[in-house]
Amino acid sequence: MDAFLTSRVISDLLGGMTNGMIYGLVALSLVLVWRSTGILNFAQGAMPMFAVYVGMVALGHYFGYWVCVGIALFAGFVIGAGTERILVRPLYGKPEINPIVVMVGFLTVLEAVAAAIWSSVPRGLPSPFSPIDYRLGGLPLAVSPFSLYEIITSLAVMAAVAMLFRYTNLGLQLRASALAPEVSRLLGVRVNRMLTLGWTLSTGVGTITAILVSSNFFTGLTPQVMDGIFAFGFIAAAVGGLDSPVGSIVAGVVMGIILQFVGDYVNSNAIILAAVAILIVSLMARPNGVFSPVRTRRV
Amino acid sequence: MNVASVTRSKIIWLVVAIIGVAVAFVATPNASDAVAASVLFVVIVVSAAGFSSASFRQWHPVLARAAKVLVVTCATLFATFFFSETTNFNLATGAAMSVTLVGLSFLTGISGQISLGNGAFMGVGAFVMAMWANHHATTPIVLALLIAIAGGAVVGLLLGLPATRLRGPYLAGMTLAFAVAFDAILNYFNSWTGGDGGLQLPRSTNPPGWLLRLFSHGVAPLTANTLWLTDITIVATGVAFFFMANLFASRVGRAMRLVRDNEVGAELVGVNLARTRVLAFVISSSYAALGGALWTLINNSATPSTYSFALSIVILSVLVIGGIGTIPGALIGGLIYAYSTNVIAWFTARTGLNPQGNLASQLNGIIFGGLLIVTMMFAPRGVAGLYRTFRRRQIIKGPDVNQPVEETYAEA
Repeated sequence: MDAFLTSRVISDLLGGMTNGMIYGLVALSLVLVWRSTGILNFAQGAMPMFAVYVGMVALGHYFGYWVCVGIALFAGFVIGAGTERILVRPLYGKPEINPIVVMVGFLTVLEAVAAAIWSSVPRGLPSPFSPIDYRLGGLPLAVSPFSLYEIITSLAVMAAVAMLFRYTNLGLQLRASALAPEVSRLLGVRVNRMLTLGWTLSTGVGTITAILVSSNFFTGLTPQVMDGIFAFGFIAAAVGGLDSPVGSIVAGVVMGIILQFVGDYVNSNAIILAAVAILIVSLMARPNGVFSPVRTRRV
Repeated sequence: MNVASVTRSKIIWLVVAIIGVAVAFVATPNASDAVAASVLFVVIVVSAAGFSSASFRQWHPVLARAAKVLVVTCATLFATFFFSETTNFNLATGAAMSVTLVGLSFLTGISGQISLGNGAFMGVGAFVMAMWANHHATTPIVLALLIAIAGGAVVGLLLGLPATRLRGPYLAGMTLAFAVAFDAILNYFNSWTGGDGGLQLPRSTNPPGWLLRLFSHGVAPLTANTLWLTDITIVATGVAFFFMANLFASRVGRAMRLVRDNEVGAELVGVNLARTRVLAFVISSSYAALGGALWTLINNSATPSTYSFALSIVILSVLVIGGIGTIPGALIGGLIYAYSTNVIAWFTARTGLNPQGNLASQLNGIIFGGLLIVTMMFAPRGVAGLYRTFRRRQIIKGPDVNQPVEETYAEA
């Protein structure tokens, strides 16, 4: 049994699942914004990145990991809400290219400002969890305290979002304002506030993702660290369906596992190549995502 | 055209010329360059103003476009003889960039799609050019450029096929994924692309003998490599712009605009939606490939780090600032790209920032990103659009309301 659990296949499966959780979280944060405001937020990686840098200012002043996490989360909420209010609100109802361009501009500004203030040298956010794998019968199992922390946090966030939408009054209002803003407004839902809340929530999820990424001993935090992860997250969201939170999370995890195998058995350059191939094939087969209900339009 | 609007139109051109001359003095390394650049700019502005007169355009639109492109190209070619090597190099870089920009401008402005991966398509052209030259060193430049364009078209077709069914954000995200992946793709095929180091061209490109013989006394500067490469780039840019200007106004262009504005209507009048969308995407990626191939030519090499994701963002930024969806916007964007480094360096020197510091090295991103947001929020058609709105507004306000509206090949 030990030999099986530490075999190459199981290692890839476990490692892939850990990465996949991260992709799933990014995908979830994209879906949250897409569902509430119909905008694909290209700064979805950069906004949390900036929030984590803000949180790490505290680290310089001898505060512990969890204080940093708290500050980063708060900064994430503020950035999310502020962005929706200032940058995104004037864009509703404009051609779909305008929000894309504005968010790409915001991405550029955030990355440049972060690099100007904190330089591009990677910074570690040392977490209290060890990145060294557990050992089973003398062989390393592809699970470490840190990867457990990643998986459990991701699952908790996903569960919390699901509970919020399914079981609370607030979640109902959020769903209603995304689905039928006019009717919701008539029924007394403060739709504008709900849109802001949708962005806040999404950036919150994103910030947790960015914290997990920067706590990773092997990557650390750089201004560009989220670019690649954003690309994988977007691919997961597009494959799973930008309308479908569950679909995008599942797609993220499955993709994480597939890519881990590709990276292990082919080479590391093939990873993103495989991801783009998955994207193209799945978009040609199911343009609205594998898990999205098929919708036809009547002319 | 009535008298009031003519004078006003002249005033706008004058303002444009003055701004151009001022920028020329900041952006070029020495005074003689600045004088030459200023003269060039004024010539271009005057001729552009002349050939865009409504009567000429109505008489023969294709000829008007050809005349405009020819005058601008020839004036620029003539000016390159007086420029320093640095200025010529920057000019060529900007001209090649504007070829890429006009392709993206077409994709966005006419067919309503957007690509965040045109930096990577430039890379495709650049590397196809470099790989071809390394295997067949004797191929004439024109043929090599066409091969690079074909390479860009093939990759564009591959990525564009899903685009037939995708709405804007999906396509943007897919091209973004391609741009992020491009570095890894080059590395994956490193036996062909040379991995991180990229490829060198096997020999420098020299002017053919017949051209040198035309100048019997041997014009020394023409044999200087940079000048020759700059002139090739400018001619290629002129040809590319001429085709694009016609495409904007052609039957295909009109079909694409219809697809952009009203899918159902387009289908009803028999436009093939899927084919039109893919065609626009392929044209845009081919133009990007030509831009990249020209860069390979100018630099004598192609390096992967040039064609990173950041380049795609820069392409979008300068185009939006210049005026996305318009042809002049692409030219303005190319100029911004070519000389922004000098302007920013001038600004850094004036404000006393540490040029090696974090802030100075990121100033580019901060300024471009900020301008990208501001432009999109307040003037979505960029510099070119500002001019156009101003002119159109005064035409409508003028006393003769019944005059025919000018033919514009790239309206909002």
